[in-house]
Amino acid sequence: MSEPAAVQMDGVPVRLEQRAVLKSFLGLSLKNGLLNLVTLTLYRFWGKTEVRRRLWSSIHLNDEPFEYTGRGKELFLGFLFALGAIGLPFLVVVFGAQFLAPAFAGLILLPFYIFLSFLMGYGRFTAFRYIASRSSWRGVRFQLTGSPAKYGWSYLGYVWLSVVSLGWFWPAANRRLAGPLWDGLRFGDRPFRYRIDDARKEHVYGAFALGWVGAMAAYFVLIAVMMSILIPAMRDAAGNTVEPSLKVFGQIYAATGALALVYTVIFSPYQAAMLRSIAAGIGFAEVRFRMRVKWYDMAWMTLSNLALLTTSLGFLMPFVEARVSKFLFDRLETTGTADLDSVRQAAGSSPRTGEGLADAFGVSPI
Amino acid sequence: MRSASRQSDGVQARFNDGLTTAAHAVEIVLAADAIHFTHEGEAQNWPLDAVEVEPLGPTVRLGHPGDAARLVVSAEVWREICSARPAIEQRRRRRASALVGGLTAIAALAAGLIFVGVPLAAGPLARATPPELEAQIGGNLEAQIGLALPTCTGAAGQAALSKFGQRLQQDPHATFRLRVRAVDAPMVNAFALPGGAILVTGDLIRMAETPDELSSVIAHEAAHVELRHVMQGVWRSFGFGVVLDALVGGGTGAGQQAVLLFGSFTSLRYTRQAEVEADRRGQALLQAQGYSSQGMASFFERLAAKHEGADARMVKELISSHPDTLRRARASRAHGRPGLPAFSVADWAAIKAVCKIPPKKGFLAHFPR
Repeated sequence: MSEPAAVQMDGVPVRLEQRAVLKSFLGLSLKNGLLNLVTLTLYRFWGKTEVRRRLWSSIHLNDEPFEYTGRGKELFLGFLFALGAIGLPFLVVVFGAQFLAPAFAGLILLPFYIFLSFLMGYGRFTAFRYIASRSSWRGVRFQLTGSPAKYGWSYLGYVWLSVVSLGWFWPAANRRLAGPLWDGLRFGDRPFRYRIDDARKEHVYGAFALGWVGAMAAYFVLIAVMMSILIPAMRDAAGNTVEPSLKVFGQIYAATGALALVYTVIFSPYQAAMLRSIAAGIGFAEVRFRMRVKWYDMAWMTLSNLALLTTSLGFLMPFVEARVSKFLFDRLETTGTADLDSVRQAAGSSPRTGEGLADAFGVSPI
Repeated sequence: MRSASRQSDGVQARFNDGLTTAAHAVEIVLAADAIHFTHEGEAQNWPLDAVEVEPLGPTVRLGHPGDAARLVVSAEVWREICSARPAIEQRRRRRASALVGGLTAIAALAAGLIFVGVPLAAGPLARATPPELEAQIGGNLEAQIGLALPTCTGAAGQAALSKFGQRLQQDPHATFRLRVRAVDAPMVNAFALPGGAILVTGDLIRMAETPDELSSVIAHEAAHVELRHVMQGVWRSFGFGVVLDALVGGGTGAGQQAVLLFGSFTSLRYTRQAEVEADRRGQALLQAQGYSSQGMASFFERLAAKHEGADARMVKELISSHPDTLRRARASRAHGRPGLPAFSVADWAAIKAVCKIPPKKGFLAHFPR
């Protein structure tokens, strides 16, 4: 573990560190997993809240822990809201278009699917806003200002620009999308800021090119491997069609799994570079952030987490989240000073429900 | 000051007033039911019943509902307080038990609805579904399938298949008119679509050695149509797929995939039951018209011989929508009765040649044969 950040703050050294005891998350993982099974996963909202509470309280700034004040009930209500406001209308449109109006299905569904990109962005912003509002230090809350709708439209535009550019706009999109999330963040009455020019000083496109070309090559290799397994397996010696054996299905799954591992490694340099880039753009008062993360650290962290989750059937998710948190904070450095003793609580209301929409799209941060 | 310590009749603690990040030293006094302290001349009373507690290793953070203010006391002192007032811990445990108990009860209700209620209701719901709607759904599916599986070009063979479908369905009040046709596809299969369409693949026709074998397969699919199994499947999928997926959230966390897998296995169990039901009803339909129903067993036996051993079959059945083929063959042999062949010699020759010249169009036609 690298030395935690040391910042001079009016002559007082300030340390930012994650002190989570990973072992303690094993028991929590087991408890949450079992209660999820017993309650048909309805406990997950309370389980997630408990994980966040423990993680936040183990992150220390100047030897004092952060606090997570969110409630399981809020996440549950957010889920119900997303189900009613998004899930049901989505179901009605998709089924209605497919079964009752197939001639117009494309016309109806295409704008609808495009609109989903907007909702994903909207959900991501509101999830950050909820988490910020439930995070505090010394009793003073964080707050995310800004418009989720504006973020949603930006997200939609960037996603489709990325699609038409075959993915090449995505690194630039990621940097831009970090802007409203960090520039709009406040700790009490003090603003964070995000300078995209500082973020751009950390290059990401070389690493992205490596990932893009490598991923394409790996994809075509997978197709060739699958065809070479499937085609002979679907015909017997007499040329009749036969059902592929279980062994063949196993080989197909193994090849797909191998591709997932290759993708993880190939994109690790990009993931590491993007983390460094966004961290370089963030500032608070006179404090600047720097993420010292190498591609091989990132690859190892992702691969080992993948192994933990697959072998434990997802049970170790809280343990994995604690590992990731520790991984990030162990590599986060800060420079500069900030007066943290006189921060005032900011006025303004907090959202009443959790990040149901972000959860529905799998873009909830933790 | 890092942690609180005892001083005469009070306890030293650190107080954040929720207005600024400044920390204030306060002396708290513990009464039977509340924490009392004074901050900037103002008396504060926090009822112990409502105090929220967060352990932080050597210290404990105390909160007050609806208030951002926080008190930090030493863990040791808090332990003493709790040991003298067991009601605090009892209250915490009671709340946790109530939460888990309540959620388990809701989950049990939801599980009952999805795993028992939906399958039970699938039959009545399918029968209550307006036939026009089912026909429309079937028509749309048929059009989509047609893009991948083009109709075979042998006109005489198609006419023989169509004629057999009409003969099989003598009931003039049947909900749907059976429409049997051969399609070009690199697989041994037959499908019943909602609304009466039955598609038989060219490879299946090639594999069938006698008219009895092919007529048994078509009769099995006709039974699916008559019993409205496809609509039952749609309603079951709605329960197991859509409702369960919505409840679980479709995520990858602990338990979510396990619950979804359980739902899939349960759904497959009902699908396998429908297959057995269609085997029996299909044989009955053939017998009612005086046709032989013995072809089903021999067809399944040869199908099973092409596949794996007993262990692999058992695993496959568990994850399959169809029962084990060899078991189906044994049951079909027990229920099979002799009778007339379903097709004349000329019709059988035409049917065997129905897909001889493969159609040029169709996505799957591009796969190697």
